[in-house]
Amino acid sequence: MEMFTAIGLNHFLTISTMLFALGMFAVMTRKNAIVILMGVELILNAANINFLAFSKYNGGMEGVMISLFVIVLAAAEAAVALAIVINIFKTFKTVDVSSVDTMKE
Amino acid sequence: MMHSLIQLSIVVLLLPLLSFVVLIFFNRRLPRMGDFVGVGLLGTAFALALYIFWNVVVQHYDPAFRIAWNFTWLDLGNVPGVGPLTVKMGIVIDNLTAIMLAMVTLISLLVHLYSTGYMAGDKNYGRFFAYLGIFTFSMLGIVLSDNLFSIYIFWELVGLSSYLLIGFYFEKDSAADAQKKAFLTNRVGDIGMWLGILILYSQFHTFGYQEIYENIAAGKFGLSNGWLTAAGILLFFGCVGKSAQFPLHIWLPDAMEGPTPVSALIHAATMVAAGVYFVGRIFVILSVDALHYIAFIGAVTAFMSATIAITQHDIKRVLAYSTVSQLGYMVMGLGVGAYSAALFHLLTHAFFKACLFLGSGAIIHAMHHEQDMRWMGGLRKNMPWTFATFSIATLALAGLPLTSGFMSKDAILAGALGFAATEGGGIYYIIPVLGFASAMMTAFYMGRQVWLVFFGESRTHLKPAEEHHDDHAAHGHDAHGNDAFDHAGHGHADPGHGDHHGVHEVGWVMRLPLVILATLSIFIVFSPDPLDGGKGWFMHLVPTPSTVVKSTENAPKEAGLVTGGKLLAEAANDSEHPAAAVHAGAVVAASHGEATAEAHGPVFADARQAEIAHATHANHFTAIYLSSAMIIIGGGLALVVYKLGAIDPDKTAQAIRPLYLYSFNKWYWDEIFDATFIKGSMLISKSCAWFDTNIIDGFVNGIATVYRKVAFANGSFDKYVVDGLVNFTAFFVQTSGGVMRKIQTGKVQTYLVMVLLVVLGYFAFYLVQLMK
Repeated sequence: MEMFTAIGLNHFLTISTMLFALGMFAVMTRKNAIVILMGVELILNAANINFLAFSKYNGGMEGVMISLFVIVLAAAEAAVALAIVINIFKTFKTVDVSSVDTMKE
Repeated sequence: MMHSLIQLSIVVLLLPLLSFVVLIFFNRRLPRMGDFVGVGLLGTAFALALYIFWNVVVQHYDPAFRIAWNFTWLDLGNVPGVGPLTVKMGIVIDNLTAIMLAMVTLISLLVHLYSTGYMAGDKNYGRFFAYLGIFTFSMLGIVLSDNLFSIYIFWELVGLSSYLLIGFYFEKDSAADAQKKAFLTNRVGDIGMWLGILILYSQFHTFGYQEIYENIAAGKFGLSNGWLTAAGILLFFGCVGKSAQFPLHIWLPDAMEGPTPVSALIHAATMVAAGVYFVGRIFVILSVDALHYIAFIGAVTAFMSATIAITQHDIKRVLAYSTVSQLGYMVMGLGVGAYSAALFHLLTHAFFKACLFLGSGAIIHAMHHEQDMRWMGGLRKNMPWTFATFSIATLALAGLPLTSGFMSKDAILAGALGFAATEGGGIYYIIPVLGFASAMMTAFYMGRQVWLVFFGESRTHLKPAEEHHDDHAAHGHDAHGNDAFDHAGHGHADPGHGDHHGVHEVGWVMRLPLVILATLSIFIVFSPDPLDGGKGWFMHLVPTPSTVVKSTENAPKEAGLVTGGKLLAEAANDSEHPAAAVHAGAVVAASHGEATAEAHGPVFADARQAEIAHATHANHFTAIYLSSAMIIIGGGLALVVYKLGAIDPDKTAQAIRPLYLYSFNKWYWDEIFDATFIKGSMLISKSCAWFDTNIIDGFVNGIATVYRKVAFANGSFDKYVVDGLVNFTAFFVQTSGGVMRKIQTGKVQTYLVMVLLVVLGYFAFYLVQLMK
């Protein structure tokens, strides 16, 4: 437990930040829509880690509850997002987001 | 209830107007272009006028005969600043009116008849008769008017018809110029006449002759005597214009551009006499000063135009100047107080001058529009009728005994002598001297004309060929034998000018008027005594009216008009004492014995008039002797020069060249007027035009320029500031839009990057805030 006590809130926050940054990076740089979705999952999970860490160090259960909600929402989001990706593929014959720029018009 | 004569006179007045209306609209649709309408209506009018004449002159034979009728034409109520303004129209018939009515309709009828021959073949034949109709209507209007307003209206109407007829051949520039000259010259006189009418109206608020006479007689003229004189002279200006008196005489000779029947009707017999008639109407309100003025103008006119007539070559121009001269006689007669004599001369002159003009028309017609007397000659064999009538009229004009002209002219000259004697001689003797000199010259130039035209041999061949041709082009009216019908009496198909074989006597329609007019120039028509017109019916029926203006110089004040007149009337009626009741401050002409009292029937209210009448009577035989001597000298001179050839006229003309040129160029009046009034008018016009173009236009243009400048400034403001603002907004939006669209890549990832950047920026900001 000593080791656990050595691990403080900041470590959690650091992990979550790194995770967020990695997710963000994926979202921003990948061209494949699926990979971007995966990046989004990383970001969500980074947020979950934050919630849990604050919940633990704050003594309440609200963080745990919200993170459960986020997981559910993430599942729903993934379902919707995959449906969108399928529709994009149907329309553009590709899942490369850089070529899907009709919003520019 | 209207008098039946008044009703008749209205019919007489309107018949020529009917002729005008019918002919001006329908002459092309009527057979013979409707000349029978004009002649027929005029014939009817003349018959009615003759009935009026018969009724008034022969049946009544009363110097005081007068019937009048009027109606209110315009009632404008009480006009502020003017007073009651009512204009009445009316008709007055007295002896003078009845005589003039018959004379005007007769001459008009004869001229209508004559024109059917003279104007035959003219392309505007029908319109000519229409114009004659409106002229006759206007002239009858002048004669019948009972007030100044309606006479002024008809006065302008005769001016108009004169204008139309002078310019009948308006394709010719000279005719168009002449009509303009006549109209404008007449306007000058008419302005004066209108001012005179206004002076009288301002005093009495009426235009009626009778009311004006009565008001002046009652001493209601509110202004000084000078104003009354001014009113008289201004009214006389109307006569100066219409009757071609000096200095407005210049239009009448030029008016000879009109067809010759017009010259006879308008510019010799009737219209130009209207001025004299008008002065006769206003005679009683003329003051002594005004009468003097009139007398001098008349005498100068008579003398001047007689001198000019001597040297003219154109047969019509000689007659035109002779007309001016005779009108001068009439005006002089009125001025010297020989009222009846002047109007008598008007009547006699109308007949013999119309005869002369119609005769000259016949000559011109027969000579194929040759008007220059130098190329005539020997016509008495070819045209015996014309020669005979022309000669009678010439003798009447010259004033030979046994003619009508002798009686009337002599009465005027006697009046002038009497006048000079009464006024105390001196300068006033200029008037009779000028009168007698004119009488001599009249005889001379008429003798010259008759010998040049009728005697000797034909000089047609002497005419220079070139001039010949031009002359024909200028004088001839062109429609001969073109269209319309040809007249039976004188079919001249050959265009050969003045060839003696081509000169024939004119047809009967042109001969008959000559004969009638020549007959009316014989003494017996007017008076049984060839030496004294005073015994005739005219002088009896148109006596000198009693003046309503006191002659302040000679008569004492108590010789008041009305009372004086009454006293004298009683005196004259008292046949027991023919010479008794003389001194009520006035002298009655009765002192000359019973015959005189009868001859000068009326009683003069004014001493001066009475004295003149008396002196006139005393000078009656002096005048006869003197004028007969003058006629013999003048006529004899003409005989010596042109018949016997004892004196060569051309050499004489060379010998007295300056005088000859002075006369030949009509005393240079045209040039003088041209140099003064016309040049002056042009100068004024030009300076006005300069003022207009430079000052008024400059002002207007200046304002326009200012407006333009302001408008340009305004435009610039709009263009650069307002539009600039709008454009700048658009530009800004466009530019910023251009910048912004670069951001809108349409790629979700880019947007995400931006979101991240913004969030990071926020944090960075937040951190910076925390650090502080």
